[in-house]
Formats: sequence, C-alpha cells, structure tokens
Amino acid sequence: MTTLVPRPPQPQQPSVPPQPVPRRAEEDTAVPPRADCVADSAGGLTFDVTETGESGAALLVLRRRDDGAEVSLPLTPVSEGRLRAALPSGVALPEGRWDAYVRLADGEPQRLVPGVNDLRSLVDRMPSGSLGHVAVRIPYATKHGNLTVRSWLRAPHAEAGELHVGERVLEVRGRVYGVALGPDAYAEVSPRGGDTAPLRAEVTGDAPDFRFDVPYDELAEGVWDLWLRPAGQAGPRVRLARLLDDVADKKAIFTYPKAELRGAHGPVEAHPYYTVDNDLSVAVTARSPKGPAPKTS
Amino acid sequence: MHISFLIHNAYGIGGTIRTTFNLADALADHHDVEVVSVFRHRDEPVFAHDPRVRVRHLVDLRKDSPGYDGEDPEHRARARVFPRAEGRYAQYSALSDRRIAAHLATVEADVVVGTRPGLNVHLARQTRRGPLRVGQEHLTLDSHSAALRAALRAVYPCLDALTTTTEADARAYRGTMRLPGVRIQAVPNPVPAPVVEPADGSGKWVVAAGRLAPVKRYDLLIRAFDRVRGQRPDWRLRIYGGGKQKERLRALIDDLDLYNHVYLMGPANPIEPEWAKGSIAAVTSSLESFGMTIVEAMRCGLPVVSTDCPHGPGEIIDNGVDGRLVEVGNVEAIAGGLLELINDDALRHRMAVRALQDSARFDPARIAERYESLFSGLSRRSGPSRLARVRESLHRTRGALLSGAYAVRDAAGRDGLRKGRTA
Repeated sequence: MTTLVPRPPQPQQPSVPPQPVPRRAEEDTAVPPRADCVADSAGGLTFDVTETGESGAALLVLRRRDDGAEVSLPLTPVSEGRLRAALPSGVALPEGRWDAYVRLADGEPQRLVPGVNDLRSLVDRMPSGSLGHVAVRIPYATKHGNLTVRSWLRAPHAEAGELHVGERVLEVRGRVYGVALGPDAYAEVSPRGGDTAPLRAEVTGDAPDFRFDVPYDELAEGVWDLWLRPAGQAGPRVRLARLLDDVADKKAIFTYPKAELRGAHGPVEAHPYYTVDNDLSVAVTARSPKGPAPKTS
Repeated sequence: MHISFLIHNAYGIGGTIRTTFNLADALADHHDVEVVSVFRHRDEPVFAHDPRVRVRHLVDLRKDSPGYDGEDPEHRARARVFPRAEGRYAQYSALSDRRIAAHLATVEADVVVGTRPGLNVHLARQTRRGPLRVGQEHLTLDSHSAALRAALRAVYPCLDALTTTTEADARAYRGTMRLPGVRIQAVPNPVPAPVVEPADGSGKWVVAAGRLAPVKRYDLLIRAFDRVRGQRPDWRLRIYGGGKQKERLRALIDDLDLYNHVYLMGPANPIEPEWAKGSIAAVTSSLESFGMTIVEAMRCGLPVVSTDCPHGPGEIIDNGVDGRLVEVGNVEAIAGGLLELINDDALRHRMAVRALQDSARFDPARIAERYESLFSGLSRRSGPSRLARVRESLHRTRGALLSGAYAVRDAAGRDGLRKGRTA
C-alpha cells in the first residue's frame, strides 16, 4: 500500500509505426497546412504534415492555450511531400489544450487544420500504469476547425468505467492506475465550493478494479465531484475521470439518465456527467414539482 | 472524350456532389472533364477534387462577388424549363433557365451528364445536336411524385441514356416509364479506397453511420442491441451522425438502460477512421436508394449486417459471404445477424476479408470504366432520330399522352400540381 511517486517519463518509441496517408496534391497557397494524426496505444502521437514546398527547418509547435507554453517537435521528410513529427508517450505534455502550428524556417507559425485522425489505438485503451502515471493525448478539431491536442497527465489515475443509475444510488465502477488499491480505500463525494464536508463511500472490488455507490439521497442541490482515496486518508486524492479512449470531449456523448428524488426543499433530480475536463461529477438540481423531468439531459 | 457534368451546386455538401467529384476525378485520368455547377454560393468546393477537373458556375450567388446574380430580376422570376414538381424547383429561376439553356446550346463536349431529374430535363430539351445526353438518377423512380414522373416521361425520350444506382431501379424505369430508344443502365456510385488502413477486426464494436432520420430506423438497431447485450455484454455500439431523431434515440437508450453500451457519437468527417474502429457495420434502414455507407464500411474492411430493404443493400452485399442481409423491420432478425458475426470470430474475419475484396468493384476507376463503355456504346449506336423517338413515345400510349399534357402545362408555368418532395 505505497503511493508510487511519478517518475520522469522515459523516451519511448511508438509501438505502432505510423501509416503514411495517401492523398491527392490539391493544396495551394490559400489552403491552411493540414496534419494527419496517428495515435499509438502507449499515448504517443505522430503528425504528418503536407509539405508546403518551402525549404529550411520546419517545426511542429504545440502551444498551450492558457499560458502560451510551447513544445516544439522537429518535422522531418518521410516521403515525397510529407513531413512527420513525433510526440512519443515518454515526452511529457502537461495537461491542457495545445493548439497545433507549423513553423517554417524563421516564419510566423501557421495554425494547422486537422486532416485524418486515426485514433483506433486509443479505443478501449488499457495502459499498464507501471510508470506511475497515465498520459493521454487526443487530437481533435476545434469549433473553428483547427487542430488542437487535448492532453491529460495523471499520476496516479482513477478511470471511470460503467455507471449504473439506480433510483436512489449511482453505482460507479472504475479502475485505478499507478497506485495500489489498499484495504483503507474509500471514495469521496465532494461538494464543489461551500463548506459542506465530503461524503465518504465504501469502495469494494478486485484491485485494480473498484466500485462504490454515490448515495443520491444524501446529496444537497449543487455539483459534487468524485474522488478516490486508494490508500485511505493518508494517501493521494485521485479525481475520477474518463480518459482512456478516443473521445476528446465526453460530455455530449457519455450521458446518463436523471434520477428523480425528494430533496430537503422539494423535488430534485440527480445525474452523473463528465466535465469539460472529462472528470466525473454529479449534478443535483431542483425540478418543477409538476410532471416528470425530461428524460434526457 | 470531353465529358461535361451539370450539377445543382458543386460547392455544397452532399452525396451527389461527392459522388460526382469522385467519378469526375477518375474519368480525368483519360478524358477532358468539367463540372458545371448551376449555382455557386462559396469560392471553393468543399470536396477536394483533381486539379485536372475544371469547375465553373452558371449563376453566382456570392454576395461579395463582382458577378453576383442575386439582384437580377430574372433570378426572382419563376423557372419554366426546370420542372415545377422537382424538389429543388424553388431555387431555380428564369435566370437559371436562360443560363443553362445558353450553356447547353454551346457546350463543347462529347457527352453531357445531368445529375438530377430537373437538370436531366434541361439536358433533354436544350442540349445542342451532337453531344450524347446522359441523365443520372441518384435517388429512385419511386421516390418521385406522380407529377414529376409524368414530367420526366415526357422528355426523357430525348436522352441517349439514363443511369440508375441499382439494377432494381433500372428495372423500375424500364418497366413503368416506357422510354423508347433510351439506354437504361445501372451504374453504382463510386467509393474511393479509404485513406486509413482497414479495420483489423479486433475491436468489440458495432458501428453505424448516417443521418439520425426515421428512414434509418436506428430505433430498431438500438432495440436489437438490447438483445445483443443480453448475450454479449462485452460488445458495444456507436452510431455516428446528427439529425432530428437524436433526442428520441437518446431517450430510448436511457429507457433500455443501454447507456453503457450504445453511444450517439455525433457527425464525423471523414468517417473512414471511425469505421476502422469497429469490427461490424450495421444498417437497419427501411429504404436505401443505393447504400453508400455499406460500401464505405466494406472498403474499410467491415462486414455489414443490413436489412434487405429496397433498393441497394441486396445488390451490394453477397449474403453470407461478405455480409449478412436480414429481414426489414425485424428486431430479432437484426439481433440474430449481429450475434451470428459476434459469436463466430472466424466467420467474421472471413467475411471481413471478402468485404474488402468484393467492395473493390466500386472503386472510382472501375466505375469510370463502366461509364466509358456506356458512352462509347452509345456513340456507336445508330437509330431513329431523337425527334422521331420523341414522337413515337408521345403517341404510343395514353400514359405518354398524359405526360405530354403535363409537360405543356409545366412549360406554361401554371400547373396546380403539388410540389415535388425535397430530394
């Protein structure tokens, strides 16, 4: 029952060789540069950029949206008209949204647009967790049609799996990575903001798999975040999240029915949802006393 | 050969536009090809195309363009040549009538190809003497209103050939339209090889893709998956696409407690990488005029379980060999087809290999060859003049006479017939 300290990630080759993607040469100068992305199951990414014809060094630049931090990756020719950059799983990419650019010679970085994202290796991903952390990078198209990489780096990590919505409880199943699940393990259902103390839920299951029940009846109106304490109070506090697949934004796709409850101040409804960071929370909101709440969220 | 396509709007998004560019690109390997778009509302086509294919427009609807035609009074006057019963009638005008007529009167081509019924009418009536006139039907005859069918029957005898996407629809045209001298031939839609490696068949996912519309019957697919889960809870279903049925399908998933097994993924473009994540594709439609998604999935190495609905699936899938056809509207049959492939890994892998092989016949190069042999067969053909053929057809039957009457009323622009349904 020891907490693994995250080690500095080791450089490591992608386990699946990236596939060159054939494509007609229809680019002209007015078309923004485009990158095809291939993900490997270890969390590495390769970017294939259509060559613009300019000579000189080329870099693929990832710039984090909130603080402007940059990671530059060399682009090297792989075939006629194609440049490739690799972001191996071992190269740390702190959590956040990283906008992708290409920078040619000393020119201004140009925003990349997504081409073909081959993310099949990310579906049903089951990393070993043996490095003590889980690294996830999912390329996606922004609402403006640009290429951005969403990165998560969790050490340790509690992956949310199946959720079962009951009348009075929500059963949460998951798997823990990078830390042992000890006999003192429990889950925290923690109110966001305010002074209310977190609720404690008993954790069962065969390590590394776990399950616990969120008692809907005991939740006041508001948002409740779910945490795992795999080693009890003395160990780390691990946020439950769903990260190990190819879906960059879970909120709209992984949705769950609402349970109708009698709250302290009238009827309420509760439902689990994924936040914009793909962390798992429960929302409890008042519902109109007349008629059932809509079935969908 | 010089081949000239006439299309409603090459700058938009849609099955006909994608199909036309795929075919034009393939024909451009050996021929001089242009795509003439009646309307243009943006600077560049959405679908990338071969630079050898020239694209131009007849009516410019870009407000910021010096050639903007939207203020032309003729643009607001009703069309008289484009048939009123056609689904796109409201977008056509006296201006489009005149521009299309001028284009067809002077077109420098050996073959002109129309890509929807209303444009085929223009082709039949207005193409100068010389070029072969080939009309394409991208939907099906039975999807058209009686009024549109009558309008088409009146002038289609002036075409040299009419292509349908299925043999079933070709039979319908031959059997009910009586178009003497017009070669009616089924040529399936081209589907290019995917830009990703085929699926390896290891993922426990069933994938479906299409608009969330009632005709796709995704409600049946979800109910069938409830039965699949009973036997194989380790398999899950992804449905890609957007549409008006979304909330209804979401509610059904929640009612059946399938929220850990069935996911509405939203639209995906390109779709090929999403097929590649699955091991089985599912189509549960009540109607597929062709069945493009079936071919797309097969080209990505997925065997398809599909309802045997009219018109396309049965002509694409070799039942039991590269996929499975099941009874339309039957939840048990759909579940049975899915479970057959889920429970038998060897069968599934065998079908996947065959799906890849068999779908190669839809490659644009192969479809272009079929068009080439159609065109060259037509140009060798001799026979009565078109005018004679038209007279013959108009006087042959009461039905034809009736359609002639519709055509006159249509041309006069004062018929009270109901508008055609939207394509």
